[in-house]
Amino acid sequence: MIASPDHRHLHSGGGEQGWANREREAEHAHSRAHDAAPVVLEVSRATHRYGDLLALDDVSVKAREGEFLTLLGHSGSGKTTLLRIIAGLEISSEVERLTIDGEDMREMPANLRNCTTVFQQYALFPHMSVGQNVAYGLKVRGVGKGDRLEQAREALALVRLGNKFDRRINQLSGGERQRVALARALVTRPRLLLLDEPLGALDEKLRIDMQIELMHLHKKVGLTFVYVTHSQEEALTMSDRVILMRGGKIAQEGAPADLFDRPVDREVATFMGVENLLEARVTGIEGDQVAFEVAGQPSRGLWCGRGRPKVGAAVDIAVRAERLRFAAADDAPAEGHVQIPCSPGEAVYKGKYLDQTLNSKIGELKARLWDPEIDIDAITGVWWRPNDCAVMDKMTQDSEVAAK
Amino acid sequence: MNAAPHPSFKIKATTYQRQNRALALAASGVGFAALFTLYLPIVLLFVLSFSSDPLSGRVPSLSLEWYEALWVSDVFKVRDPLLLSLGLGLLNAALCATSALLVGRVLPRMKRNAPLIFMFLLPLLVPGILLGAGVFTYYRVLIGVKMGLWSLLLAHFMWAFPFALLCMLIVASRFDARLLEAAADLGASRWQRFRDVELPLLKPGIFAGGFFAFLLSFNELSRSIFMRSGELTLPLYLWVQSGGRSATIPIIYAMSTIVALVSIVLVFIAVRMMFPKER
Repeated sequence: MIASPDHRHLHSGGGEQGWANREREAEHAHSRAHDAAPVVLEVSRATHRYGDLLALDDVSVKAREGEFLTLLGHSGSGKTTLLRIIAGLEISSEVERLTIDGEDMREMPANLRNCTTVFQQYALFPHMSVGQNVAYGLKVRGVGKGDRLEQAREALALVRLGNKFDRRINQLSGGERQRVALARALVTRPRLLLLDEPLGALDEKLRIDMQIELMHLHKKVGLTFVYVTHSQEEALTMSDRVILMRGGKIAQEGAPADLFDRPVDREVATFMGVENLLEARVTGIEGDQVAFEVAGQPSRGLWCGRGRPKVGAAVDIAVRAERLRFAAADDAPAEGHVQIPCSPGEAVYKGKYLDQTLNSKIGELKARLWDPEIDIDAITGVWWRPNDCAVMDKMTQDSEVAAK
Repeated sequence: MNAAPHPSFKIKATTYQRQNRALALAASGVGFAALFTLYLPIVLLFVLSFSSDPLSGRVPSLSLEWYEALWVSDVFKVRDPLLLSLGLGLLNAALCATSALLVGRVLPRMKRNAPLIFMFLLPLLVPGILLGAGVFTYYRVLIGVKMGLWSLLLAHFMWAFPFALLCMLIVASRFDARLLEAAADLGASRWQRFRDVELPLLKPGIFAGGFFAFLLSFNELSRSIFMRSGELTLPLYLWVQSGGRSATIPIIYAMSTIVALVSIVLVFIAVRMMFPKER
């Protein structure tokens, strides 16, 4: 579709269609189940090396129309490399399939791909005004001056910078630069918007505001977003789907709640911020629930591992601090749940909540107490609902290496 | 922290401060002496160029006659060397700026570029007479190139190119290559990226390099001696004249004043371009 320059011209030139139209389309796209929406991006079996370093190891990714897809991972996990391969800024050493709208992109230079990037450091042109920066993508497509300035104004209004058209880049704050970069990437109406840690350089407060703004923007323009970040919080807040990357491979992929509540292994659980990780042994299997023994204490959890659980197998279990439940000595044990005796240890006051350590036979447990009325000294036991406890495969040697 | 400092500590501090002040005074004294030595002859030259009797070393009355003689008089024949030097300077500036752009935009992006940069800049340190003699021997004696305009240009290029490249490198090393990626990402072709992003941002280096190349060529003497054949550049002319009839010396003052003033302006512009103030 974008192979011929003429076609690109049509694509970016539709001024009268406007963002409002886009918005209606977007709502339409959202009302459809994502599974039914057409695939906009497909990467199949991509491998990439920088010299001897294997940055991307046989990774396949699909993104559907209107989807907010997040590539999550530590630095060096391969997420940015994957993004650059999609953008065409890096040519993958091996890739089986790389398509945008079904069209083969493997040999296509970056400037002929119908996707744009919001860079981490924004990469705004310092010698151009805000308006010229935003209009640049249209200028190189041969859109006439009047048209392109008009569309640049529209795009700037979309990111609430309508009044900064004639400013120089160095007169803008970090948050404003960020929004100019967004407007510049959106103005050509690409099929795919790639965002490379766009909020990384902003301070905490601004970052949270921008998250909400990005979500609104995504809904408004109805584009497919591929978003790279190392922040699980950003990923959980904004994404329709998250791909957690590790050592150039995909560690886990799913809806934010899948990764948050059902990590497939200990490393994923740690990355997603699970506080309590213990070793256990499977004693029984009932449907998707698993009975296990942890340091001699029987308990139950939800099977989250990659394969099927086996009785007698060593597993890791993960429970979030805020999901621990407490029992006092005189409480009747909750039905079907096994209490683990414990006594309160050190506590760290955090204002909104209290981080309480509990000493038990199975080891130190971290609990998060939101209720200031709770009588900590009365706690004699701790338990969890099976759905709040993830039971996962032990990591194999292979995945251990990948995690490093 | 709140307690008063110990008395002995206080005394030490003042001694230290006094020493510091004396050193600072000595340092600025040496600095001013150096500046004085550097600029005194230029200032004298400037003053004497307006004197009615410059060879006396005094200024009996102010006069513009030497400036007038410079341009009008047929006796001194300074116009041809001046025009030749101007032309040669401009040509050399264009040549150096273009070459420095082509080389300088690539060098900072290369891996292990230090040896290459060193090799490019080394001719800065080779004495001009040696280079002149060497180039003359090589081109004239070994290859048999005819000496004249083109050999002069070649010598001037060899002299000025490292300076122009240095100017270019200062600007190019600050250039953020990610801007080119951003432009490509937005749809700019290779040529559009060069024209719209690289060229405007490297422009200060190109112009600064060009200005320096012009000045270096315009003032060049030691290499020109070997490579000139029959051609007479302005510095050659002044050199020949000042060694000859003393009657021509007064116009040398006037000429030097003009050259110095123009040079100062050009250098000022060039430096301002390379190190712009933040707006």
